[in-house]
Amino acid sequence: MKPLLSQITSIVGESYVIESPADYPAYAVQGRTPALVVAPGSAEELAHVVATAYAAGVAVVPRGGGTMQPWGHPPVGDFLVVQTTRLNRVRTYEPDDLTISVEAGMTMEYLDETLAPNGQMLPLDVPIPARSTIGGILATAMDGPRRLGYGTSRDLLIGVQVVEASGRTSKAGGMVVKNVSGFDMMKLYTGSLGSLAIIVSANFKLIPRARAAATIACAFGSQAAAFALARAIHESQLVPVAVEYLFGPHPQPLSLSGRGESTPPSPARGEGGWGGEGSLLVVRAEGLPAAVERHVRDVSAMAERAGASGVTVMRDAAHESVWEAINNLPQSALVDGDELLLRLSCLPASLERALADAESLAARHGLGMRVAARALSGLAYLRVRGDDAGAQRQFHADLLGRWTQLALLAGPPALKAEVPIWGTEIPNLSLVRRIKQEFDPENRLNPGRYVV
Amino acid sequence: MERTQLIEELRRIVGPRGVVDDPHALMTYDADGCVMDTGDPQVVVLPTSTAQVSGVVQLAARYGIPVVPRGAGTGLSGGATAMFGGIVISTARMDKVLEVDTRNGRVLCQPGVINYELSQQLKPYGYQFAPDPSSQKACTVGGNIANNSGGPHCLKYGITASHVYGVEMVLADGSVIWSGDGSPAAPGYDLTGVITGSEGTIGLMTAAWLKITRLPEAVRVVLALFPDIAGASSAVSQVIASGLLPAALEIMDRLAIKAVNDMYKLGLPESAGAALLIEVDGVEDGLDELLHDVTGICLRNGAIEVRPARTLAEQNQVWAARKNAFGAMGRLSPTYYLVDTVVPRTRLPYTMEQVGRISREFDLPIANVFHAGDGNLHPIILFDRRNKSQNQRALEAATSVMHVSIEQGGVISGEHGIGVEKQDYMTLLFSTDDLAAMAGLHQSFDPHDLFNPGKVFPKGRGCGELAALRKAGVAWAELKSS
Ligand SMILES: Cc1cc2nc3c(=O)[nH]c(=O)nc-3n(C[C@H](O)[C@H](O)[C@H](O)COP(=O)(O)OP(=O)(O)OC[C@H]3O[C@@H](n4cnc5c(N)ncnc54)[C@H](O)[C@@H]3O)c2cc1C
Repeated sequence: MKPLLSQITSIVGESYVIESPADYPAYAVQGRTPALVVAPGSAEELAHVVATAYAAGVAVVPRGGGTMQPWGHPPVGDFLVVQTTRLNRVRTYEPDDLTISVEAGMTMEYLDETLAPNGQMLPLDVPIPARSTIGGILATAMDGPRRLGYGTSRDLLIGVQVVEASGRTSKAGGMVVKNVSGFDMMKLYTGSLGSLAIIVSANFKLIPRARAAATIACAFGSQAAAFALARAIHESQLVPVAVEYLFGPHPQPLSLSGRGESTPPSPARGEGGWGGEGSLLVVRAEGLPAAVERHVRDVSAMAERAGASGVTVMRDAAHESVWEAINNLPQSALVDGDELLLRLSCLPASLERALADAESLAARHGLGMRVAARALSGLAYLRVRGDDAGAQRQFHADLLGRWTQLALLAGPPALKAEVPIWGTEIPNLSLVRRIKQEFDPENRLNPGRYVV
Repeated sequence: MERTQLIEELRRIVGPRGVVDDPHALMTYDADGCVMDTGDPQVVVLPTSTAQVSGVVQLAARYGIPVVPRGAGTGLSGGATAMFGGIVISTARMDKVLEVDTRNGRVLCQPGVINYELSQQLKPYGYQFAPDPSSQKACTVGGNIANNSGGPHCLKYGITASHVYGVEMVLADGSVIWSGDGSPAAPGYDLTGVITGSEGTIGLMTAAWLKITRLPEAVRVVLALFPDIAGASSAVSQVIASGLLPAALEIMDRLAIKAVNDMYKLGLPESAGAALLIEVDGVEDGLDELLHDVTGICLRNGAIEVRPARTLAEQNQVWAARKNAFGAMGRLSPTYYLVDTVVPRTRLPYTMEQVGRISREFDLPIANVFHAGDGNLHPIILFDRRNKSQNQRALEAATSVMHVSIEQGGVISGEHGIGVEKQDYMTLLFSTDDLAAMAGLHQSFDPHDLFNPGKVFPKGRGCGELAALRKAGVAWAELKSS
């Protein structure tokens, strides 16, 4: 590694290379220690680092805030960790255009703070925004509850710059909200888990912050009743921005956000059914004040009709902190040793059945389970907990037997090594391989971690 | 391969009625809506099934004959034109809506379904297909996906790419894939995303699962009249900047108004230099407040009048005028050249000023009808094709518009695609490395350039050549790091 170390040090400077990563366990990727950790200070430096590693035959693992490094398999072979967090600048922001271009190492929280004074937002609702970086959010295509109203990063990303496996820099898209100039490479890189290129900057279409917002949290005695409400909303002409199904202990905003505010902004325990356990359907309305009030009225009434055991309406700080807690549920950074984080994807109308299966399997295997599901989009995150590894394995196998698109995003290494962590059905694998081959023929980017 | 033998084999695959080889009949396929570029196919086939498409593609692949997918041929960038001859595969006979699945918010259709027909069929269910190009009464959903088309309502609902869950596609070896079905997080790469907007260059779509959108509870339409286009453009810029989100914001200028005023009995005054069509939709509650805010901005920007379209009939009339405005240009001039470009929305007023300057400089009238809310301009250069000088000036004026737009941070196409028309502008936006990455993606689908060859990438810069350049990455890396 000596010549590589000195080459890389000469690119980024001594202070930004960790020579002995073994001393810094936080940089290990699922237990594998990198040869070096490098933190380039610019896209150019990053490209130079990647080109140098490429010439030396060493693989590269891109890293943002590290919150989603548990995803996928551990990397194979020798690798460098290329840390993007110094790439944290705004490149262009013209608020009146409602677009922004930022470097990929910027955290979501920082981006939020940049946009807020102008009444704008990028409503991706990712977990742990203080650490999650734009690059990581795009590479994992992590979604959030408000995908229902605003779409995902796929819909909001309008331009991108990447460093490819060989160190070559390329870009696509632009800084306008509508653009068909050339192929949509943004879609290719989004969700490719760093296996095709390293995202170094991203341009987004922004959304104006709503003038009013409210949460209608509806507690139910059964999953079926909660989904009956979800269906009624789907059939109506209401336009909520999020309809989230939750199961398990209701999220406790304060303990999760860790802000330690003195007065809990969340509703008191037991009030309107919030604060206990079981099935909740949480609806988020945003927009003009009159439209939000209409949603509060109609959803509350529909919930009563669906047999809700309690309806809690939240606004302002309570509203904000409840969603912060919900957004954090699928986080993979702080998974405990006895916990699995799973992502189940299916057609929206099948979600109820899938979750019924998951709930009964968890009960049968004596496992605790929390669910955060985008009730109208067919996507659920499950946190499954229990000290019996055999029971967890059996739960996973049984659920996978019924639902093929089940990704094990985080969990005990032994289990991950053994099961198909991306599910049993990877569509169009040969085409996916050809793309990987075209973009990274030597398999240098996140080798072994994704589906190819 | 002999043409007669080819035609015979094609007949065997698609049946005698599915092959067009009569030279007169073939002439209608020599161009799409962009008459600047023409090319004759050897033969046109009209398959009725995926299996037939696959058979035709395998035959073409075996003999190295180009395959050009074609929907309704309303494209405006030469995308469906056979620049190098070959087989045009028309989806005209694959025009069935196969399944409406409201529970999953999706519809399964064949590619030749007409955009407007689809929304008509969804209406009884209380749904629509949101992308609504002005050509929607003619264009196909296959063409919409291939071009990632836009439309007035994309301001609020997003472009076609946000409304496609998955497509069935015949690849260059005749194999058939499904890229998705509406399940949101299938593992792998987002093939649906990269297929959308690929302009028929990587495969032929034979079916699609499209996202359907619930019809809004309430809709309001108003027409704000301005003395000139500057006022209308700055009103649009300010509406966007102030965070209001109408469903559509469309501008028509004086010439466009002149073209549609009588035809659609709009009764707009001569003094109107520009009309801004505003639509807001959603739940009833709050809509008037939103509209009030938007029209307030119009009035502060010098609007002389704000006319609500009170009845559904009035709304339809205003929209018909807007959507048929290109067609109405025939009343003003024998030919027109429609330029498609997008600028950041704050640059709209300045760019429109420059379009006016270009019109004077090249001494050709330019009408404007466009998706203002997205910053998507459509200067329509009016000229007579038979007049050589006008022809030349029209081309030069278009190039000037493009340069102004790029200088303002704009791009070369917002919705009509690159096709043949814009391919040589690609280098104004993209470096060789940028193009090489796109070529790499293209090659992984269609390594022998079977589908729609000679499109999108700059002339003389073949996809294969670009991709090869990129494959030589090792040498490049050494060069850069030394
Ligand atoms: C009056 C007028 C108004 C218009 N208004 C708008 C507008 O508001 N917004 C907008 O975006 N566009 C607009 N257009 C442009 C055009 O209508 C759209 O691009 C439309 O989507 C093209 O559809 P089509 O069926 O006519 O496709 P075609 O013109 O036949 O083909 C377009 C491209 O798609 C490819 N293609 C077609 N079918 C398939 C398939 N099944 N598989 C693979 N590739 C395929 C073709 O090869 C070609 O590259 C307008 C055009 C006209 C003439």
